Amino acid sequence: MTRHTEPGATVISPRRLIQQNAVRKLSTWIANPWGRPRFLALITWAYILVSIAPVIVAIQFSFNDGRSVTSWQGFNLTRWYWGDPDHSVWHNPALQHTLLQSLKLAGLDILIATPLGVLLALGLARWRGFAANASNFIMLFPLVTPELVMGLALSLVFLHVFTFIEPSTTAQVLGHVTFSLSYVVIIVRGRLFSIGRQYEEAAADLGATPAQALRLVVLPLLLPAILASMMMVFAISIDDFVISQWLSCGASCDTVPIRIYSATRTSSFPSINALAAIMVFLTLSAFGAAYLVQRLMTRGERKSRRGMAKGMFDL
Amino acid sequence: MYPRWLWPVFAAPGVVWLILLFLVPFYAVISVAFGGVDPIFQNPVPSWNPLDWDYTAMGKTLTGFLPGNQYWAVFLRTASYVALALSGSLLIGYPAAYYISRHARRTKAILLVLLILPFWVSYMMRMLAWVNLFSPAGYINKFLVWSHLVTTPPDWLNGNPASVILALIYGYVPYLILPLLASLDRIDRSVLDAARDLGASPIEAFLHVTLPLSKPGILGASVIIALPMFGDYYTPNIISGSPSTSMLGNQIDIFFHGGSQPGVGAALTLILSAFLAVLMAYYMITIAKAQKEYPA
Amino acid sequence: MSGGDVELIDLAKSFGRMRAVDGINLHIPGGEFFSLLGSSGCGKTTTLRMIAGFEQPTGGMILLDGADMTGMPPHRRPVNTVFQSYALFPHLNVFDNVAFGLRRAKIESGEVKRRVNEALALVQLTEFERRRPSQMSGGQQQRVALARALVLKPAVLLLDEPLGALDARLRKQLQLELKTLQQQVGITFVYVTHDQEEALTMSDRIAIMSEGHIEQVASPQEMYEAPATIFVADFLGVSNLMTAKALGKDEKGRCRIRLGQFDLVAGQGEVKGGDTKATIRPERVRLEPHGTPGQNRIPGMVERWVYLGNSVQLIVRLETGDTVQALLQNSGDEIPYRAGTPVQVHLPPEALRVLADTGARLALETAEQEDL
Repeated sequence: MTRHTEPGATVISPRRLIQQNAVRKLSTWIANPWGRPRFLALITWAYILVSIAPVIVAIQFSFNDGRSVTSWQGFNLTRWYWGDPDHSVWHNPALQHTLLQSLKLAGLDILIATPLGVLLALGLARWRGFAANASNFIMLFPLVTPELVMGLALSLVFLHVFTFIEPSTTAQVLGHVTFSLSYVVIIVRGRLFSIGRQYEEAAADLGATPAQALRLVVLPLLLPAILASMMMVFAISIDDFVISQWLSCGASCDTVPIRIYSATRTSSFPSINALAAIMVFLTLSAFGAAYLVQRLMTRGERKSRRGMAKGMFDL
Repeated sequence: MYPRWLWPVFAAPGVVWLILLFLVPFYAVISVAFGGVDPIFQNPVPSWNPLDWDYTAMGKTLTGFLPGNQYWAVFLRTASYVALALSGSLLIGYPAAYYISRHARRTKAILLVLLILPFWVSYMMRMLAWVNLFSPAGYINKFLVWSHLVTTPPDWLNGNPASVILALIYGYVPYLILPLLASLDRIDRSVLDAARDLGASPIEAFLHVTLPLSKPGILGASVIIALPMFGDYYTPNIISGSPSTSMLGNQIDIFFHGGSQPGVGAALTLILSAFLAVLMAYYMITIAKAQKEYPA
Repeated sequence: MSGGDVELIDLAKSFGRMRAVDGINLHIPGGEFFSLLGSSGCGKTTTLRMIAGFEQPTGGMILLDGADMTGMPPHRRPVNTVFQSYALFPHLNVFDNVAFGLRRAKIESGEVKRRVNEALALVQLTEFERRRPSQMSGGQQQRVALARALVLKPAVLLLDEPLGALDARLRKQLQLELKTLQQQVGITFVYVTHDQEEALTMSDRIAIMSEGHIEQVASPQEMYEAPATIFVADFLGVSNLMTAKALGKDEKGRCRIRLGQFDLVAGQGEVKGGDTKATIRPERVRLEPHGTPGQNRIPGMVERWVYLGNSVQLIVRLETGDTVQALLQNSGDEIPYRAGTPVQVHLPPEALRVLADTGARLALETAEQEDL
């Protein structure tokens, strides 16, 4: 293909140009297949795969046609969920009870920890002085305390001090809330700091009393953080094993993690996998729902630069 | 603008809750650890008055940690498991967090979601999945035999320390990556550009700029997973039924629930807490020093 | 409707040991466009926030139309603020933002609608009723903030560097609009800024603040032409400060000074004797061919010149060692004095001012360094 070019210029057809570019890209890749971004990308994707694959496999086995949790015997959608008359989740009252117990604890945890935590966050964010600093310190402590220590401490306190509380659902809820409170405070307080005082001052300037300012300006602006902390509390509570176990009253207080724990070292049915899969599904749906609601609510202010992950871990 | 008393009043319910259900229980642990034993029922009796504390029982438990004595091995084992698991987690977690923070542009959102996913899957569920995979007839052994890498399928789940450490890594890495990512995201990109502009190669820029700046983040994330790991007893129980891999948490669990000497269980818990408090103090001092050097 | 007369009596605010506002006295008559001018940390924003009610004074009083407002919480004061960051409620649209204050005052909704529309028309944003703040530009947001404050018909409007976040062009346009608006509405405006040009352009009177106290209060013209202290002279525009010795008065009552080896007459300002500073504005410095005889003329040499578009800045070094900046209007002709040309610098007595009052300590040090 001829072109009219300046005298002396080399004539190259478009197809040749593309070929040359491709060769150049390939040769760069070959020369350095461990080019840094590529190597890191490999590690990252490999990690994600290894992290998620076992869970996928476990969920896969909840659809196993046979009793094994290690040998695949064919696909059966419903056997372990509601098909099998003895062992499926639907027909096994013990398994159902653990699911309900987990949800009950999570629900009560959210109900109690969220308002308590929001108030605590507001208070700690603006309170000054020695007592305030001491309270802040106390609030941070549960975050760095191993659950074992907390579980043991709570057992002891219900045994020797608050003897009117037996190991029971009540005790479990009390333990869960104690553990979750700090997370709510961190999340809500982080959001409060990024909002700043300007909107409340504007509200007061325009004639809003302090109560009105809190109700009409602060609370709506905190709503995304409140929602996020509810999600956090849900996840913590659903996932909790140690505190629930130490404060458990026996089989009727068992939660899903406790059930799974006792099932892992004994030969178990895929119904356990099904139970766990149901749990994962519920958690992810709750998370998805909360995310959507939050997107809906903050459509007016998509400006916040700090992501949720960053906000969570600022102590 | 607001009355000064408003904020303490808001904080009061939460603070009261934490005092009653966190500080008081902790004091209960101390009181039991330094308390006596009921002569008839052999139950531990807490002693609330510091003046009445019995230091002999605690002293006996403490000496158990000296080299050669009964808790020395457990402590050493726990410390080494945690150290190895932490190193392993950092080796995997840091590159991944680094990649997501620095290099992934278009895929960053997807990667974040995938990263957060294990967070939402219960720890027990992930351990269950892990155990199923590594059980004698599980997929891992099936693959190893099929690919002729081994002739007999290895027994992963019976007193195997490597399995425990690997399981700890698998279990805890998600909790490491998120805070690590958050702190890496905070590093100002222009500082790195400046380093490159002044003649540093990519590796030099990483070693002399990125790594030092990510130190507080690494430390923070390490503390976030190391502290709970010290109290972990369920992972060794699930992965290996054998007492040869038992960690400090297992000891405490046995003493308390085994019914033999809950007092010793309390004492051990106290010692564990004190040890962790030391670690925590070290962390906070380091952070305070770092704050002075690079005010955020 | 009340007049909007503001009076600050010995107003002070300390944060711990730091005295942000050090006992200032100010009287702002109703309907005036009054600016608080100064660099960061001088106390102007703290003063404004005390008038608004967001800071409690540690001493002194704030009177509005004679009534003591000092102890009143912000939501009860008949003053409104336009914030530096606008502080528009992100979760409300423009209409609800502007209506916010009216609804708190329990005004019935028909009246609310009417007044909001009126306010939006005033700032030319009628079509933006349903928009969210995040969907608007900086200039538009600023106008919403204005409307939101003005709709309540306050006695005084406080503005805290409202144009700081906008680019230069927009800023100039809005300065004009704000001034016109103020004259239209007739409310007292108390305007805080660090930009001297802004203050000079818009204000009826300016108060220059430094380190918590007021240096001078005057109209823009008076402040520029007759600065009371060295700090004020140096803060506004170029001051050409020169160190001189006062020698007494001449027969017309003007001050005689010695600058280096030259005796000059300064027609502005009064000093008793001893060391003093002489100042002259660059546009009043006259350059004449070298060797021109006469009063107040010093030989010098042009060091360099800077082309500013509408004018030319010439930096001249006098034989006394001082450096003086002269400003020549761009008449379209060739620049008469190139670098290296010897000239005669004429400092007309009626334009030369002596200052003894040092004002802020900082100003002395800055004056020594001769910022050119």
